[in-house]
Amino acid sequence: MAHDLHLKLKEAIRTKNAEATVENNDGSSTVIEFKNVSKSYPNNVHALKDVSFKINIGEFISLVGPSGAGKSTLIRLLTAAEKPSSGDIFVAGRDITRLRKTEVPFYHRKVGVIFQDFKLLPRKTVYENVAFALEVADATNEEIREKVPNIIEIVGLTSRIKALSEELSGGEKQRVSIARALVHNPKLLIADEPTGNLDPVSTWEIIELLFKINKQGTIVVLATHDKEVVDTLERRVISLRDGSIVSDQNKGKYVL
Amino acid sequence: MTLVSFYRILKTSMTSFWRNRWLSLAATLMMVLTLFIISFFVSILLVTNKTAESLRSKVDMSVYFNDSTSKDQIFALQNILLSRSDIKRVEYTSKEKALEIWRERYRDNDKIRDAINSTDNPLPRSLEIKTERPEDLESINIFLTSADYKPLIRDISYAQSKLIIDRLVQITNFAENVGVIVSLIFIIISVLIIFNAISLAINSRSEEIEIMRLVGASDWYVQGPFFIEGAGYGILGAVLASAVSFLAMKLSFPAIVNYLGSGSADLIYSGINYWLIAGLELATGLFLGIICTVLAVRKYLK
Repeated sequence: MAHDLHLKLKEAIRTKNAEATVENNDGSSTVIEFKNVSKSYPNNVHALKDVSFKINIGEFISLVGPSGAGKSTLIRLLTAAEKPSSGDIFVAGRDITRLRKTEVPFYHRKVGVIFQDFKLLPRKTVYENVAFALEVADATNEEIREKVPNIIEIVGLTSRIKALSEELSGGEKQRVSIARALVHNPKLLIADEPTGNLDPVSTWEIIELLFKINKQGTIVVLATHDKEVVDTLERRVISLRDGSIVSDQNKGKYVL
Repeated sequence: MTLVSFYRILKTSMTSFWRNRWLSLAATLMMVLTLFIISFFVSILLVTNKTAESLRSKVDMSVYFNDSTSKDQIFALQNILLSRSDIKRVEYTSKEKALEIWRERYRDNDKIRDAINSTDNPLPRSLEIKTERPEDLESINIFLTSADYKPLIRDISYAQSKLIIDRLVQITNFAENVGVIVSLIFIIISVLIIFNAISLAINSRSEEIEIMRLVGASDWYVQGPFFIEGAGYGILGAVLASAVSFLAMKLSFPAIVNYLGSGSADLIYSGINYWLIAGLELATGLFLGIICTVLAVRKYLK
């Protein structure tokens, strides 16, 4: 079953690649830019060393590297959970290293993030989990009633809309997380090892979903250990090792 | 902040309160107790204050004259006293007036009241003196007991007033000191318990809070429920304490007035303003509750 999905995904990717790609390589389509970003922690731990790269509209980036290479750090910087020790990070033209504390929540609403451990609200239904992201942004009950079912349909969980999070399988939980990440139509979706806790079938389901979201215009940054996923996607791969970028290839392969 | 988001924060706060309901109950009761104790001591202070005030305005010294003393002699003395700078007022009480006062004072006690009648009135005439300050009484007393006036005067009573005021000052100081210490102890205990309750609420929702931050909840959305909880302890505590205070007053006042004598009724009822006490309880409760929230949030909410 996993194999079938894998093949199906490969087919979808081949089809996409065959279409005329809308890649502008001029700077105006750059949405994300890391400029000489370094991050150190006390105890002289240099998590990132002078990292620079650009990401354009519609790209699908796989971020790979061994444990401790700096993937999680990079993601934390990208979500403004932390500030770099030096360097600048631009997202949609805004330097997010200069965000004031009161502005950070609004940035979080514009960037969708999903994690390996799903981070769902316990004892709440699929609907409630997705609605939560809207409630927190002061959406009216009417807006919520309209949007939530649509998003749940996008991730294919309409049949489970009333199920409690504890009743869901791993793959379903991750889909709820994705749905929640999509409520504000983010231009950027970050996935930090989303398939780490999933079986092979669910893994391909999730990757397919991310691919589908990317096709509709959202930038996806996927941090992963999964070599097969990276190789199948045939997309840009940024490899980190010991805090530095060792390779940045379009249509890259997983290289350790 | 919109109405709907306030409603959501309120709901979150109440769910949290209910989830740890036994601790929440303990915290609330502690608040009620603390507020009641503070009110109790404040009430005592209010009454002693009122009493001292009213005593100060009454007569300080009564000079009773022998029946042999003539009216002219009394009035002469009155003028001399009035010319003194340390005397505020001097009023003359005739035998008839003295009888009237007697009848009024013992109006409920027939036997005593009728022991004296107008035909054979043994009550002495008197001059009621009010001094500027209690300290002046001593020198006036010396003046009156000098050779010039001694034969005219049957009796001088003044010691009591000073004594009473001294006693009152003593009680007031004692009540203040004890009150402050006891209140402080209860306040500290309350703060500890409420701080604990709110910290527990924060910790038990830490997972939810992390997710809130993830999806971009603003700080007040995250902290709001805890401030409501803190303020809630204050308001709920104050409301209950007010009810208890009201009951306590209603039940105890008649008994107290009975014990202290009918003269105290005026002091007690006018000295203690119920709404003042209720307002004090509400203000204190809110203050304590919110302080606890600030401390807990600062410590446990990154």
